[in-house]
This record gives sequence, C-alpha cells and structure tokens, in this order.
Amino acid sequence: MNLTTSHLIALLPLMLVCATVVIVMLAVAWRRNHFMSATLTVIGLNAALLALIPAAQVAPIQVTPLLMVDHYSLFYMGLILVAALACTTLAYAYLETLPDQRDEFYMLLGCSVAGALVLVASQHLTSLFIGLELMSVPLYGLSGYAFKERTSLESGIKYMVLSAMASAFLLFGMALLYAESGTLSFTGLGQQLSAGGLASNWVILGVGMMVVGLGFKLSIAPFHLWTPDVYEGAPAPVSAFLATVSKVAVFAMLMRLFSLAPATADGWLHTIIAVLAVLSMVVGNLLALMQSNLKRIIGYSSIAHLGYLLTALVASDGLALEATAVYLVTYVATVLGAFGVITLVSSPYRGADAGLLYHYRGLFWRRPYLTAVLTVMMLSLAGIPMTAGFIGKFYVFSVGVESSLWWLVGGVVLGSALGLYYYLRVMVTLYLSPAEQPGRDAPHDWAQQVGGLMVLVLAVLVLIMGVYPQPLIDLAQMAGLQFPI
Amino acid sequence: MTLLPLVFICPLVGALLLAFLRGMPQRLAALIGVGSIALSALSVAVIAVTYLGGDHTPVTVTLWQWISVGDFTPRFSLYVDGLTITMLGVITGVGFLIHLFASWYMTEDLKDATGYLYTRFFAYMNLFVFSMLLLVLADNLMLLYLGWEGVGLCSYLLIGYYYRDLDNARAAFKAFIVTRVGDVFLAIGMFILYARFQTLDIQTLLALAPEAWSKGDMMAELAALMLLGGAVGKSAQLPLQTWLADAMAGPTPVSALIHAATMVTAGVYLIARTHVIFELAPMTLGLVGIVGALTLLIAGLSALAQTDIKRVLAYSTMSQIGYMFLALGVQAWDAAIFHLMIHAFFKALLFLTSGSVIIACHHEQNMFRMGGLRKPLKLAYACFLVGGSALAALPLVTAGFYSKDEILWLSFASGHEVLWAFGLMGAFLTSVYTFRMIFIVFHGEEKTRAHAPHGLAHHLPLVVLLVLSTFIGAFIHPPLAGVLPASPEGDAEGLQLVLEVVSSIVAILGLGIAAALFLGRRRLVSALVKTDIGRTGWHFLHNAFAFDQLYNMLFVKPFLAIAWLHRVDWINALVNIWPWLAKQAHRGLSASQTGRIRWYAGSITAGATIMLALLVLG
Repeated sequence: MNLTTSHLIALLPLMLVCATVVIVMLAVAWRRNHFMSATLTVIGLNAALLALIPAAQVAPIQVTPLLMVDHYSLFYMGLILVAALACTTLAYAYLETLPDQRDEFYMLLGCSVAGALVLVASQHLTSLFIGLELMSVPLYGLSGYAFKERTSLESGIKYMVLSAMASAFLLFGMALLYAESGTLSFTGLGQQLSAGGLASNWVILGVGMMVVGLGFKLSIAPFHLWTPDVYEGAPAPVSAFLATVSKVAVFAMLMRLFSLAPATADGWLHTIIAVLAVLSMVVGNLLALMQSNLKRIIGYSSIAHLGYLLTALVASDGLALEATAVYLVTYVATVLGAFGVITLVSSPYRGADAGLLYHYRGLFWRRPYLTAVLTVMMLSLAGIPMTAGFIGKFYVFSVGVESSLWWLVGGVVLGSALGLYYYLRVMVTLYLSPAEQPGRDAPHDWAQQVGGLMVLVLAVLVLIMGVYPQPLIDLAQMAGLQFPI
Repeated sequence: MTLLPLVFICPLVGALLLAFLRGMPQRLAALIGVGSIALSALSVAVIAVTYLGGDHTPVTVTLWQWISVGDFTPRFSLYVDGLTITMLGVITGVGFLIHLFASWYMTEDLKDATGYLYTRFFAYMNLFVFSMLLLVLADNLMLLYLGWEGVGLCSYLLIGYYYRDLDNARAAFKAFIVTRVGDVFLAIGMFILYARFQTLDIQTLLALAPEAWSKGDMMAELAALMLLGGAVGKSAQLPLQTWLADAMAGPTPVSALIHAATMVTAGVYLIARTHVIFELAPMTLGLVGIVGALTLLIAGLSALAQTDIKRVLAYSTMSQIGYMFLALGVQAWDAAIFHLMIHAFFKALLFLTSGSVIIACHHEQNMFRMGGLRKPLKLAYACFLVGGSALAALPLVTAGFYSKDEILWLSFASGHEVLWAFGLMGAFLTSVYTFRMIFIVFHGEEKTRAHAPHGLAHHLPLVVLLVLSTFIGAFIHPPLAGVLPASPEGDAEGLQLVLEVVSSIVAILGLGIAAALFLGRRRLVSALVKTDIGRTGWHFLHNAFAFDQLYNMLFVKPFLAIAWLHRVDWINALVNIWPWLAKQAHRGLSASQTGRIRWYAGSITAGATIMLALLVLG
C-alpha cells in the first residue's frame, strides 16, 4: 500500500520521537552537554505531543496493516508522552550529579517511548512484538543506569533475564496462534474466533502463553516477583517510567487485543484472568503491608492496582474502555507524583536512592509542601474521595457491578482495605517527629526546579481530577469510542 | 448572577493564600483576610441589587456535576432566592465588619499571647466564611452538608485557636463532639430523604415531598425530626446546647461571627429552607416551638448567674435563637429570619464591644472586676446601651423590639398561648440579665484602669452595627415574600397593640428590676446569695441547670465505663484475627521474595504451567 500524506501525519508523533533520539545521539557525538541533551529530549517529546493534534484530524486511519492510529491510540500516546516528559524532568535533576555519562539516558528513554507508541497503535501481533521489545530493551539499560550501584545493576540484570523469558512465552504463544489461524492481525484473529473456527486446545494454549508474557510485563500475580526488586534497584525516575509508561502501553494494547479478538469469551480463560486479578489485588496488598521501603511499597501497590484494572479487562464491555482510560490517567498522575517526590529526596545523586521509610520520617517538619504532595499521592493511591484515585476506583467498582463480577468487586474492596493500612503508615511516618540523625532531604530550592514544579502541578491535578473529573471523563469517553475495524 | 461564584471563591482564595504564605507581615495578612470578605460582600451587594431589581425569581446556577453514575448525579449547584440573599447579606456584611474589627483585636490580643500565628487566625476565619456561604448557597443537601461540616471544623479550629491552653482545646473538643451528635442526625435525615426520593436536590425534594407524604405521615415526622436533630446541635438548643458557653474560649471576634451571628443560626436556616417537610410533620414542628421556648427560658435564667461577660452573651445567644425556633414552631417563618438578621446585628455589636472592653481591661473577662467603665470607655458604653436595649427589645427605638415582638405576636395570634407566655417570661429575663451586665460593667465604682482603644478598624464596625441595632435596622426587611409561606395571621388586629404594650411593659419592668438589684451596692442580691437556698440556686443557674453534670453522668461516665470494661475485649480479639492473619500472610508471601533470579524464573514457569494446565484440561 502507498503511504499518503495523511498516513505520514498520523505517524508524525512516532517519527518525531524517533528523530529526537537520532538528534540527541548526533548532538552527543558533537559535544557532551547534559543540559542540551535533556532540553532536546523535552523539545522532541513536546513536539510529538503537539503532533497529536494534526494526527487527530486524520484519525482513524490505518497505517500499513500493522498500525492503527485512532482516537484510542492517540489518547494513550498522549498519556505516554506526558508521562515520559515528567520522567525526563525528574531524571534531569537526578542525573545532574551522577558521576558518569548522563546523555545516553535520554536516548534510551526516547527509544522506549517510541516502542510504547508503537505498542498502543498496534493491531497486529508483529507490531505488538516489535513495540514491546523496543520498549523493554532500553529499559534494561535504564534500570541498570546507575550501574556502579550494586542494586541498580542487579535490577537491570534481573529485569533483562526475566523479561526475556516472558518474551519467549509471548512469542511461543503467538506462534501457536499463527499456526492454527494463519493470520497475525487482531481483526483476523477476531473473525476466526467469532466464526468458531479456532476451538482447538492449541489456540487456548497460545492465548494462555501470551497472557503469561503480558502478565509479566504488567506484573500480575503470580508473575510479579520481579517488580519490587526492580523498582527498588532502578533509579527513581526509571521506576516511575516502568510503573507508568510501560504499564499504560501494555494494558492499552491488551484492551485492544481482547476487544478485537475476544478470546476471553471462552469461559475458562475468562475465569482464569479473573482469578489472576483477584490474586494480584490480594497478594500485592499483602506484600506491601509491613514493607519498610517506599519504592518497594509502590512496586507492590502497582501489582494490586493492575489487579484492580484487570476488572475492566474481564468485563470488556459497557464502561470498561472508559474505566480503563480514567483509571490509567489517575494512576499515572499519582504514581508519577509519588516517584517524583522520591526522586527529589534522592537527588542530587548520593549513592542508592532514599527508599527507606526511615528517610522520610518527619519530612513534614523540614519540607512541608513536598510532604503535602506525597500525602496527596498516598491518599490518591488509597482511593480517598476528592482525589483522582477515588474517581479511578469508583469506575472500577462501577464496571464490576455493571458486569456483576462480584468476586472481583469483593477483591477490590478487600484490597482497598488492606491498602489503606500501608498508605496511612507512610503518611504517619511523614508527620512523626524527625529522626535523630537528619535523613535524606530534598535540596532547598526543589520547588524552583522543573522536577519540583512538575510534582506540584501533579498534586494540584490529582486534587482537581478528584473534585472536577468531568473533563477527564469526557476525554476518556472520546478514547473509549468503539475501535474502528 | 455571573458574580455568584465570586462570592465564595474570594474567601476561599483568601484562606488558601493565608494558609500557604504563613510568614507574611501582619498588615498584609489583615489586608488579605479582610479584603477577601470585602470583595465577597461587594459581589453579594451586586447580586442583591440585580435580584431585587428583577422579578424575584429564584435562580439555580449549576457550576458543574461532580460525578455521574447511573441515577446518582450530585451536582455542584447554587440556589439563590430571597432567603439566600438575606443570609448572604448577613454573612458577608456582618462578617466583613467582624473581620475588620478582628484585624484590630487580634493585633492587640497577640501582643500578650505571643507564639500564635496571625495568618492562621484569618485563614480559619476566611475558610469559615467560605463554608458558611456554601451552606446557604447550596442547592443540594450534600453540598449543604459539606458547608455544614466545614463551619463545624472552623468553629473547632477557632475555639482552640489558643491551643497551648488545654482548657481551650477541651472546649474545642466539646463543641465539635456535641455538634457532631447533631450532624449524625442530619446525615440520617438525608439518608431517609434520599431513600424515599432518590435525590438530594433541595428544591426537587420540597416539590416531591407533599406528593409522597400526607400531613402527619410517620416518615415525614421522622425525616423532620432528624433534620431538627441536626439543627439543635448546630444552633445550641436543648438538648445539645451545652457546648456554646464553653465555646467562648475562642477569640472574641470568633464568638461574634461564629457563635452569635452566623454559624449558630444555621439550624434556623436549615429548618426554614426545608420548611415544606416540617409542615408535613406537625408533631415535629410543635417540638421545634417547644425546644425554642424551653431553651430561651433556661438560657435566660442561666445568664442571670454568670460572672464572665462573654458567657452572659453566650447564654443570651442561646435564648435568642430559642426565639427563632419558637417562631419556626408557630410557622412564623418570616419573623424567624427577620429576628435572625436583627440578632446578628446587635449580638455582633455586643460581642465586638465586649472584646473591646476585654482588651481595654487587659484581658479581664470577669464582670465583677470591671465596674464603672462608662467614663473611660464612652463608645463601648454607648454600644452596650444600644445593643443591650435591642437585646432586651426596649420599645420603639430598638431593632430588637420589632423583630421580637413580631414573634411574640404571631405566636399568640396562631393560638400558641403557652409558647407566648414562655416568650414573654424570656423577654423579662432578657431585660434583667442584659441590664444587670451593663450596670455591673459600666456603673458602680471603678475597679480597673481601662485604656480606651482607638483606630478606624475598631470604631467603624462598632458604629455601623450600632446604627443597625437601632430602629433603623428594622427598616431592612428580608425579601422573603414568595419564598416562605405567609405566617398564619390571627383575626384580632386590635389585640396586637395590646400585646405590644404588654411586652414593652415587661421589658421596661425588667430594666427597672435590674436597676433596683444591681445599681448601687447590690445589698439585696448579696444577702440573697448568702443564704443556703440562694447559694444553691445561684450555683444551679451558674452551671446552666447542671446539664454538663447530667450529661457527664448519663453519657460520658457510662461511655468511659463501657470503654474500661472493654479493655480486654474478646470481640476485639476476634476482630484482631484479621490483622493477625494479614500479617502472617504477609510473612508467608514475603518469603517468596527471595531476590534470587532462578527462584523468580521458576515461579513464573510454575505459575504458567499451572495456568496452562488448567486451561487445557478445563
């Protein structure tokens, strides 16, 4: 097929991100300058964000059989780009004092973002795999970026080995599907499934293996064990990226896959995904319960949150798409805020990140505003009303109730109750009397830095979305339109 | 009406600014704190002019919908009619004057009480005005409840403003907990209404209620009773009146704004706003009148035996709100709101003046250590005379006469002679305790050296309120026609004059008795108090009929006893199984986090195997 101008316009965001990577690389070849690399990345990501507007004019449009640029993918591209921008600003402050090369960070980040963009637009198993790997491989490097720190290196290697294993599962599952159906496109698979031509065990096995592979990326129990270790070891901005961009991209793709090719209509698979969801909610929250490391807590809580989100996947009809969009936006804003605070407290770089709760003891008395931000984020993670997290959780409940998924709703209730304990525990720590030895601390002028500003903006956003969620809901409804086939 | 959001956004912005920029100089803080209320008052003025200039049609302004799930669509919308305008005027108008006065008062007060933040005071005050405005603007019971809880919170924060003194903190606790009892009733009332009508929009409720319930329906009675429960808590009426006197621990402008002019009248507003429901519940409506009558009498008697100037005023506030409840109970809706407004004027005047006197006497609040202040404090004396006369409803020249006599007349005309008799007794008591206070403070021998305060921020509010407390204030008639149903007029027109004369005579008689008892050496009173019966009676009244002791015995002690019994609680032990289980599960699961990559890979494989086996076999 021929590429016309409108195809190119539709691909513009992706191409701009790729161009950014190349330009940063060339700039580094010419002269190493941390500020310049970061600025170029920020400019590139912003340009990509702006390019979403012309792309929205031509959407929905199919660009080669591999990619579909519709409002759904544009919505998630926007979310991914914003999250990536936030991670970039956080990384700048963090890397500023890293005693090593800093510029490559932005190239890796850009590559990973490009992969995520491909992933949310993919409507073909090939582009799914390419996107997933393009997103994941740079992340190995990013997790181990502060490799002189043992934990960071460990986290990079762990993620790489286990991720490769998950990819193997995914690839094998795809191969099985292809062997049975002879097609790799989502819609093609969907047509064959609905025609009832794919009832063999091989197909079920194939879909099952794909669920294993993708479940690993989403850190769904029982494929979750890597999550806390990697989150803890990776530099805080990278953990933020892992917890937001990679999760959003994979989940958005999964929603599309399961909507177009309703393999879950099969009773057993449906049940098993529901079981995995409840398992994630319970296991994630239980693991976080007595945890003393804030980064691990957020890691465990992300297991639980993805479990909540799976409710929407299991329901897969009615409000599900809208709920997913709302939930992901609120979750991304909240997690970015939380990791943002951790980054600010950890930077400038002084060895391992300030992850231990002990470091945050009495933070309120030293940095009241920063503490307020973290408090808002914890409340939002716990789903307290008037914060964004409440709106997200409310949607999950509505989806569960609407589709009569009572076990899942029960799981969400139980998980939220457990969750409240450790979120409150974090908050209590913040307001205790300060530790004897002064712990780690954000720089005095944190609020004047880009990262600090970003964190403050996020806190305000989380509150606004909790009080006045209508614009967000409108946006989500736009994204939740039916997939053009 | 486009200015409407500005009315409550100004105080909110003020509160946020003051809360976040704590280190600002006092002048700037005062400018922001007072200025925000001034802007808000200006917006109210513009809105009032447009509303009154138009055809008085109520307006609903929907700002946004909070959330929309199925039938549950709580909107963030405001409702403006004559009642709202009246309340807005009182809150922002009187509120502005009190804020202005407070900018002077707090500067003086904090000279001696160092270590308390000036900005914190104004942040709370602005937040209070914001909440109170939300309360009266709300078109929806849920939004009203937000404002309702907001004012409760601010009241708590401001009573405990001088938090380093434990007594103040205790008083704040007491106010919060006792009003909270009422709030629970209000919440239950909202649940009942929602269960029956599937909406909390007040206007929709008021339209639906008469269709669903006949007069005297038990559910209507119950709903109204629950609303009344909320109202008596907030408005310090029997049986939840005990907190108000202790609430005087807050700075005096707080007492003027929250515990006299605005918040404590929220109960009156609530009942007037939902009057349709009360009309469907005649028994509860009767109870409203009885509550009011009893409270005004009990509070009036208690005020007779107080030594603290602010406590006298606190009890008088309770008794005046009792009049408003009495008016509501006899369906004299207009009269209740009219008295609410007039009361806000003269009670704010009295409280502010008492604040001025307290500062002038170096933080002395005991009336018996003041005395003879009429020479050094001329303005305060004038204010107390005018305000006190309005409170005692001296005929013709005072604003209080017109509002209070309307209540008395309407209660008689609607055939509630007993309530009228209570009201008349109350009027007599009011006159006695008011002039007792004035005579003790301003007459007799001088016991302390007082310094006359000066400054525009001090004089202006007092003078404006002084003018409003005279008959001039009574010319302001709340635009309530068509909002609240007309009061049931009796047929005996000529009787009104007779009754007015009677109550005037009673008020003047009270003044005379106060003069006889408390002017000069006060020999008779001293002799009376020295007898056994006299002393017991005095203590009984001083402790406001010993309600505190009674509640202590009835509720607090049993509660503590039950709590004590449950120190070792087997039910608790049962409940504690869950946290224990959760902890054990946490331990067990944590063991899986070995950090070893081969174990992780193994677990993924194992999980995948089990899952795939189930898939294929199932």
